Amino acid sequence: MAALLRGLRAGRALRGLGSVVAAPTATKPQCSSLRRGFHRAAQRLQDESKSDKPPSSSSSSSSTTYHEHYQAHSAHQDTATASQEHSASDPASEEASGPNTSYQDQGGEQGEEYETEEQLQARILTSALEFVPQHGWSLEAIAAGAETLGLSSASTGMFNNGAGDLVLHFIADCNSQLTEILAEQHKQVQLGQAEPKKTADFLRDAVETRLRMHIPYIESWPQAMSILLLPHNIPDSLKHLSTLVDDIWYYAGDRSTDVSGSYHPRSPSSSAHTFLSPFHHHPHNIRPATSQMNWYTKRAALTGIYNTTELVMVQDSSPDFQDTWNFLDNRIQDVVNMATTAKQVQSTGEAVVQGLMGAAVTLKNLTGINQRR
Amino acid sequence: MAASVRLLLRLSHRNINVAAAGGSARPGCCWGPTGPSSCRCFSDATGDRSTHFGFETVPETEKAKRVYKVFENVAQKYDVMNDAMSLGIHRVWKDMLLRAMHPQPGVRLLDVAGGTGDIAFRFLEYVQSQQERQKRRAARSTQTPSWQDISTNYSTEDEDGPQESKAVVCDINKEMLKVGKQKADSMGISAAGLSWVVGDAEELPFDDDQFDIYTIAFGIRNVTHIDQALQEALRVLKPGGRFMCLEFSKVTNPVLARLYDTYSFQMIPVLGEVIAGDWKSYQYLVESIRKFPDQEEFKGMIEDAGFYCVHYHNLTGGVVALHSGFKL
Repeated sequence: MAALLRGLRAGRALRGLGSVVAAPTATKPQCSSLRRGFHRAAQRLQDESKSDKPPSSSSSSSSTTYHEHYQAHSAHQDTATASQEHSASDPASEEASGPNTSYQDQGGEQGEEYETEEQLQARILTSALEFVPQHGWSLEAIAAGAETLGLSSASTGMFNNGAGDLVLHFIADCNSQLTEILAEQHKQVQLGQAEPKKTADFLRDAVETRLRMHIPYIESWPQAMSILLLPHNIPDSLKHLSTLVDDIWYYAGDRSTDVSGSYHPRSPSSSAHTFLSPFHHHPHNIRPATSQMNWYTKRAALTGIYNTTELVMVQDSSPDFQDTWNFLDNRIQDVVNMATTAKQVQSTGEAVVQGLMGAAVTLKNLTGINQRR
Repeated sequence: MAASVRLLLRLSHRNINVAAAGGSARPGCCWGPTGPSSCRCFSDATGDRSTHFGFETVPETEKAKRVYKVFENVAQKYDVMNDAMSLGIHRVWKDMLLRAMHPQPGVRLLDVAGGTGDIAFRFLEYVQSQQERQKRRAARSTQTPSWQDISTNYSTEDEDGPQESKAVVCDINKEMLKVGKQKADSMGISAAGLSWVVGDAEELPFDDDQFDIYTIAFGIRNVTHIDQALQEALRVLKPGGRFMCLEFSKVTNPVLARLYDTYSFQMIPVLGEVIAGDWKSYQYLVESIRKFPDQEEFKGMIEDAGFYCVHYHNLTGGVVALHSGFKL
């Protein structure tokens, strides 16, 4: 019912567009821009109808539902203006049925208009990744990727940053893959199907999973790292690194939002992570084994671990990078030891201070300074 | 009935503009019954529309003829005048166009209104130097190639021919093409990757989806119907192909604008008279620059023609703008 109402509303919006299209003063430029807007509107409608469909729907059935909504809407016309608008909406419905059928046919050239330029660029970069072993991280790889998609190699002009775009895209891709894996694991824990890991193990597994994504490109990874160090790429690469580290700590159970050094489990809405990544779940079961380290220290430590392990991995020649994982284990153990040591030092320090205070009071009593008789 | 009358008007209008077509000319009326005819009928229905020729107003049919005559007159001294008027900066502009283009090896270039071939020559040089650099890099990576490798390299060099980049220079004016051909011969550029074609930018004598890059440098302001030229560009480009346009545009800085105006209207026609013996042609040139739409408006026109990712860069403070769009 709600879906039908939404479809009616959408159909009304479509009618508005249709009447503009049929207006006599419409010139070609307006037509083409409207058509583009049309296709995006059609996509939005598709997404809308898809999002609230019952789970058994497929994309084709959603588009037929769109047709049903539209026809149901036009069948409901009984106002005086309906007939005029109906004729006006006919060319619109023709155009609408045109893009609709081509939306089903995903391989058609008209499909390009349904995605934004950013999505197309992302597709080109993804297909360019398979040419990286051959051409390195460069515009030639992007050109080869564009050609596999059927586009001319001149489309590399879209990427002003050239190889930097490719590397940053790859890194963003890996980070989102890792976040999905961590979210999946977390869901398993919440459902009770898996045991929650200790923080040290969790961190080690997360970093290992993330670094394993580099293995197919490990030959050319030094080139990628050097591209990331170029001055105009540094802000972006630091941003990706910080979100990666933040995500790992979030799924490790760190919910601290303050920097005072104490661990406060806050409610999710006030968490500092919500603005960092919108698809966070909010686990309540995972509690960190080590606490009492503040927000910055944790992230700085993990950043250091990740970067050094990456460097070790680049020059590692052992089978399946076993040396790298051993190095990673040792570094995480170092951090854990340091945290324990810090705690011990703190408690020892407190004990020492208390002892000194007690000695001072005893001395004062003995020497009679304390005139408390 | 009315539709057929409109069609006839349109065809006759086009016949005046078409010069000898090299390849298969695509008839203009088969663009589809809906959009183009319904919009263009409006303009044709009012009879001969007028357009601007510099600061004059002339009927559309006449503009093409007069532009042809202008370039026929200036063809011999075109390059010299370019250097004199822009103080040699036009070379920098064209080099920057090539740098923005960054052509990959094996792409096909169509240079429209390319006349004397500046862009095409630069393109061929760029691609050749890139290929040499790649070969050098490949040679360096293979430490000690075996004799078999060397022999296969030699054999593949011949096969590289069809995969090599090709540049096609298209111009409506035969005189300009003649000058270009002479320049190519004198510069010793191999005729292998270069073709010279006479054609009208509003109706290109090429099939669809032929070229990777379409450039038009300082030519589009002379076209009578800019939107038609843009649509033709969209047609002949392959999917993913790039449209690049170098053209004089509005200067953003007001101080520079004042200087530029003074220089344009006082100096350039004088230079034209002194060097090329033709005051009026260079008066037309300066006026046509003023009549051309500014950067944002032209960007809108390119987007309307159907290009995506349209951007522009101002060169020399807005004296020249480099617009770029993609056929996606």
